Amino acid sequence: MSATVHAPAPRRTGIRRWTAGGWLRALWTTPLAFLLATGLVAGARAALGYEPLLAQQPYITTLMVLVPLGFLAGIGAFDYWVRYVSGRPTIPDDHANHGAHSWKDYFKVNTDHKVIGTQYVVTTVVFFIAGGLLAMFMRAELAEPGMQYVDPQAYNGLFSVHASLMIFLFIIPAFAGLGNYVIPLMIGAPDMAFPRLNALSFWLLPIAGLMMLSSYFIGAFGAGWTNYVPLAVQQPDGNLMFQMGVQWAGASSIMTALNFLVTIITMRAPGMTFWRMPLLVWANFATSTLVVIATPFIAGSQFFILFDRVLHTNFFDPGGGGYVIAYQHIFWFYSHPAVYIMMLPGFGIASEVISVFARKPIFGYRLMALSLMAILILGFSVWAHHMFVSGMADWLRVPMMVTTMVIAVPTGIKVFSWLATLWEGRIHFKTPMLFALGFVSMFVIGGLSGVYLGSVPIDIHVSDTYFVVAHIHYVLFGGSLFTIYAGFYYWFPKMTGRMYNETLGKLHFWLTFVGFNATFFPMHWIGTRGMPRRVADYDPMFGNWNLAISIASFALGASTLVFLYNMIVSWRRGEPAPGNPWRALTLEWQVSSPPPIFNFDEIPQVVGSPYEYGVRGARHAILNGKPVQEGREAAPMEETVP
Amino acid sequence: MIVIGLLAGIVTGGVAYFIPWLPDQASTQAEDIDEVYWFVAIICAIIFALVAGVSIYAGWKFRAPADDMDDGSPIHGHTGLEIWWTAIPTVLVVAMAVWSAVALARAETLPDDPDEYTTIEVTAAQFAWSFTYPELERTEGELVLRVNEPVELLLTANDVIHAFWVPEFRMKQDAVPGIQTRTVITPTKEGSYDVICTELCGAGHAVMRAGVRVLSVEDYEAWVAEGEEGAEGGGEEGGEATGAEVFASAGCGSCHALADAGTEAEIGPDLDSVLDGRDEESILTSIVDPNAEISEGYQPDVMPPDYEDRLSEAELDALVAYLVETAGASR
Repeated sequence: MSATVHAPAPRRTGIRRWTAGGWLRALWTTPLAFLLATGLVAGARAALGYEPLLAQQPYITTLMVLVPLGFLAGIGAFDYWVRYVSGRPTIPDDHANHGAHSWKDYFKVNTDHKVIGTQYVVTTVVFFIAGGLLAMFMRAELAEPGMQYVDPQAYNGLFSVHASLMIFLFIIPAFAGLGNYVIPLMIGAPDMAFPRLNALSFWLLPIAGLMMLSSYFIGAFGAGWTNYVPLAVQQPDGNLMFQMGVQWAGASSIMTALNFLVTIITMRAPGMTFWRMPLLVWANFATSTLVVIATPFIAGSQFFILFDRVLHTNFFDPGGGGYVIAYQHIFWFYSHPAVYIMMLPGFGIASEVISVFARKPIFGYRLMALSLMAILILGFSVWAHHMFVSGMADWLRVPMMVTTMVIAVPTGIKVFSWLATLWEGRIHFKTPMLFALGFVSMFVIGGLSGVYLGSVPIDIHVSDTYFVVAHIHYVLFGGSLFTIYAGFYYWFPKMTGRMYNETLGKLHFWLTFVGFNATFFPMHWIGTRGMPRRVADYDPMFGNWNLAISIASFALGASTLVFLYNMIVSWRRGEPAPGNPWRALTLEWQVSSPPPIFNFDEIPQVVGSPYEYGVRGARHAILNGKPVQEGREAAPMEETVP
Repeated sequence: MIVIGLLAGIVTGGVAYFIPWLPDQASTQAEDIDEVYWFVAIICAIIFALVAGVSIYAGWKFRAPADDMDDGSPIHGHTGLEIWWTAIPTVLVVAMAVWSAVALARAETLPDDPDEYTTIEVTAAQFAWSFTYPELERTEGELVLRVNEPVELLLTANDVIHAFWVPEFRMKQDAVPGIQTRTVITPTKEGSYDVICTELCGAGHAVMRAGVRVLSVEDYEAWVAEGEEGAEGGGEEGGEATGAEVFASAGCGSCHALADAGTEAEIGPDLDSVLDGRDEESILTSIVDPNAEISEGYQPDVMPPDYEDRLSEAELDALVAYLVETAGASR
């Protein structure tokens, strides 16, 4: 294939501008869907003789199904399929929606995995900031005992929306975004297997996020991101926004995961066998399998609550014969694997970064890949360790404790292998490497506190306390977020074509690392001493510690400004990035930064492992007739520090 | 590297040893659980010291100058090492799991003879605890235990899930609507403790607490006798609850301040001021239909709407009469 330049879609004029897929069409299809939903609810209720005509719960639910569909139809997410289904001619090689020719293309339905990857990353960072601000409000309230700024229900809304945004709108999709950008490049493919599905998965995300945030207008959901019944049924109608938001975000997640699976299985370049895949590709393969199997369970659990609320079914209502604990089983059957959905891609990123910046092959490549698969399988057998004190069947506790602790073994293999990769390396402490090593050390703490929580007797004491808050943040902040940062910095040159500022990157790392530990480490202590979680008010004996934690958390929040400044300014005015600033061997670094519109002008031929640093004569792939070997042919490493 | 590892070990050990991590032990369960806690803590501290030692040493020893263009040694793996670091953690987790399972079984064991332990029924509701002593035919807003006597707590909840936790006893158990759950405590130390609700249960979750008193054998008998006298003093079988008792057992004081009852909670409005001048009918409405009128600065839907079902007619009447007398029209 030659490097054809595909022209952008022809400009439309007159009425056509309002009927072609895009924001102008969405401007009238969205209100149309709103009216349709209103008519549907009012009409159906009038026909059945129900009062009032627009009862809030059914009305909100219908709106949240139809309005997003109206918006998606408006911006053109379904155009190709509608044409196909209705028998009108389609243009199989229509690339009008492919690639970005100006910044405006990032706000359209685009089928280019690189554009979608960037859309994902930027959108998730926006929700990350929103979720972070909610955490700042929480810490302000907690700085001293007693109630100061918010009332208890509003506080419950703060931590519920904070967790929901961070989990469903930041960590999971941020990994999906990075994967979207680099996985087709890493396996030598021109794009994802289903580019239109890929575009649709992205556009579901902002819908889910806005839905969760706008719950504040009708009473934020305050039953936690775990949304346990019966409290969830008692909550204000904002709870519906959580239930429907999870559906949209979950649908996005499932579609992306299917796309990854098909892409990884069918679109690898010639010679890219499974045992030659970079570990990030392995990690996304395992993650996508988890998503496809587990996510329908949370969708189901939230639908059941929705039905209990809106249709007055009795899935979980003991008054009607429902079983309260059934919810927790269904919920955690997704939400424990979800912890691995939020960790495995980070393991992949850490493996890429540590190998490249230690200039060494990853230690024990095959065991690294196999341990990912072991975690995938074991991950489905541990969910009830979230329920040791829930009153579930007693006998389940010990088996679930054993499987939980056994997961420490493959996880330990990964940690020890990363450390062994450093041994006798030539370590360059660039920002991505700092975040990757910060991840290893912080994740070890999170993993070890996980062993505490896995032991039933210890869990009986510390479950539902600040110990759990500390644990989850060492795993999801020290684990997931540190690797997301590592990934952002590592692929920033590839995605934007510019270098970030190394000094600011290092400053960001150290502020984050120190602020993170100062914020979350003391929580272990206040938890074991007796402070329960999810409380707006607490025993004055914890006052000084909470004040210290709040101050540290504000510093941690402020460190994000360094990151944002660096990313925005470097994207606009950074040094132009060479194709391979890190002298890496994986395929995404063998093309220009940013890559050509269809990634590879010539299909690469993969001939060896992606991590053969220091091995004379070893090659990963042959590209443009040139071997990819040790990166010596590529541009020298960029030095931004004088 | 050994030096760094030892230093990391000393720091980790110091953090573990010199900081009082756990609350006081006041039950046999606390002793069992703390043994496991420290066993796991030692293993985790050693592993952390190892990881920290190796990474700090490697980072210092193998760092490359900025302009270095060389690669590291092409080591792809080491089967022996990989077997060891799979096998040793496996052994360690099995050891921790076995110890945990044994401690769990010990903590939850009751004597075979039912005379050697007491059973207490615990009912949680938004946002209060009540404790029923079936043998004494008493229901109280506080948990009273006899030192060194095992108790079996049978828990349930009226509305949403709550969780019973006394940090000094280490034991925690969710109270779940529709089913009965169970936990065992053998208090070993006289004193006063708090029951803390640890499962998010709504707006009053943070203040949903109750008192626990562990009494010596003599004091416990005195407390039992006091209850019997109270019942006799009422002149009727079982005794009809007074308004003040209903106020306590229904948990009103968890959310409302009332000077006469000595409660100071701030979740709901201060009864001394909002009930001022109000008559029986209007106070009754505010109890059974709390959303009918919301005091300024408070939210609807916070107070449970089902007190009409929870309390008997006699109890409601007694409660309303008590409130009218202490804070309402007849004050």
